[in-house]
Amino acid sequence: MIELKNVSMKFNLGIEKTFYLKEAFIRFFQFNKRKKSEDFYALKNISFKVKKGEVIGLIGSNGAGKSTLLKVVSGVMKPTKGKVIVNGVISPMIELGAGFDTELTARENIYLNGAVLGYSKKFLDEKFDEIVEFSELKEFLDVPVKNFSSGMTAKLAFSIATVVDPEILIVDEILSVGDIKFQEKSKKKMMELIKGGTTVLYVSHSLESIKDLCTRVIWLEHGEIVKIGDTEKICDEYYNKQMG
Amino acid sequence: MIKNIIINFKKYTFLMNQMIARDFKVKYKRSVLGVLWSLLYPLLMMSVMAIVFSQMFKFSMEGVNYLVYLMSGLVIFNYFSEASNTAMTSIVSNFSLLTKVYIPKYIFPLSKCLFVGINFLLSLIPLLLIILLTHAPISIYYVFLPYAFICLFLFTVGIGFIMSAISVFLRDMFYIYGILLTIWNYFTPVFYDISILPQKLQFLFKFNPLYQYITFVRTILLDAQMPTLQSFIWCGSSALIVCLIGCLVFKSKQDKFIYYV
Repeated sequence: MIELKNVSMKFNLGIEKTFYLKEAFIRFFQFNKRKKSEDFYALKNISFKVKKGEVIGLIGSNGAGKSTLLKVVSGVMKPTKGKVIVNGVISPMIELGAGFDTELTARENIYLNGAVLGYSKKFLDEKFDEIVEFSELKEFLDVPVKNFSSGMTAKLAFSIATVVDPEILIVDEILSVGDIKFQEKSKKKMMELIKGGTTVLYVSHSLESIKDLCTRVIWLEHGEIVKIGDTEKICDEYYNKQMG
Repeated sequence: MIKNIIINFKKYTFLMNQMIARDFKVKYKRSVLGVLWSLLYPLLMMSVMAIVFSQMFKFSMEGVNYLVYLMSGLVIFNYFSEASNTAMTSIVSNFSLLTKVYIPKYIFPLSKCLFVGINFLLSLIPLLLIILLTHAPISIYYVFLPYAFICLFLFTVGIGFIMSAISVFLRDMFYIYGILLTIWNYFTPVFYDISILPQKLQFLFKFNPLYQYITFVRTILLDAQMPTLQSFIWCGSSALIVCLIGCLVFKSKQDKFIYYV
């Protein structure tokens, strides 16, 4: 279903520095030119296979490369080296509400955001009521999203993103949004999706939910795989390492 | 490969429609006249320029229907300048989207060119109005007008691809291109006739593809004649070549965009 072969992702931190003519000028006349290597590997030689129906948890401290890995799998980033093979339609739930235009109404945004997520018109027409129902925003359908509260926007975004019947689900800690009632509802919905027999890549810092959901765990640190395998064992090891 | 492109294209038509619709809705939001502006704007522009320039170039262009002459040039150049300009900024201004979901990147400049294209088609209405009001000849050769429009579109898409790719790496391009467009505008005979220039310069000016498209259209609108075969070939080949170069440049650079957010 998903296969990564020796995937490396290199960022050149030097690019982030703004290039100014002034600096270029100075550097031109500098005699002892130092060549700094500013390469930073967000992922180093990652290889693993995910079979259909598996729920894979990704753990690791901040900056370990979890989100980069998700982006590489979802196709947002092309790896510097290596190969990513994905069979199936990916539903990326990396960030909610990508492509919302706040000038547009909720109704218009459902179609726009749906299109961004790769849904077809037919699918959206069919699921429109379901989305509205779930978002609890029926009275605000024709209000521009710029007038929404952040909670309302999140609710709408969540409802659009989770209406899918995914083949591969990529989840980056968006289990619950909105008020208490909606939080419970959205959590339940996510659980349903994850447990629905689809292939899942799931990033979370909550070891509880990882243990609860995942069949296997990948532990990442500094862009490298530390361990792959049994959920309980690796989670405990990870916890001890982090705390001890 | 071509089959793949078509399948891919089909898959993202809905997204493209949505994005064009979005641009349209946002553009005229809260304006009283709304979409009427697409018709009024070229008319007003033409009026102003006609007042200023019609006396100036009276002698070099005797017997020419100056309003139609001006309007046809304006409509075409405005399409090019607006479409290529918005296409250029489309990648950078959509970075927040590009880093979150996978969308083929060419969709952004392409949808901008199409969106401005709708405006272009609307601005043909006032052009037609001027043609009717000034009793310009209407001929069977009008059927060849879409040929010029398609060439113009392909050329603009090509330039839009190139500029949008460059501007990711060099944001200065936003400003440079604005200046380039102004220069280009003066070097394109929109409100003057090329015959007032010295012979040598005229020869150079004819390399400007926009000049070719404008002349093609004017031959039909003003002279009621069939454009020459040479003209057909010139327009078609310049459009195809630039479009192809644009696609290749964009394709080879698109995977690097993400590093330059």
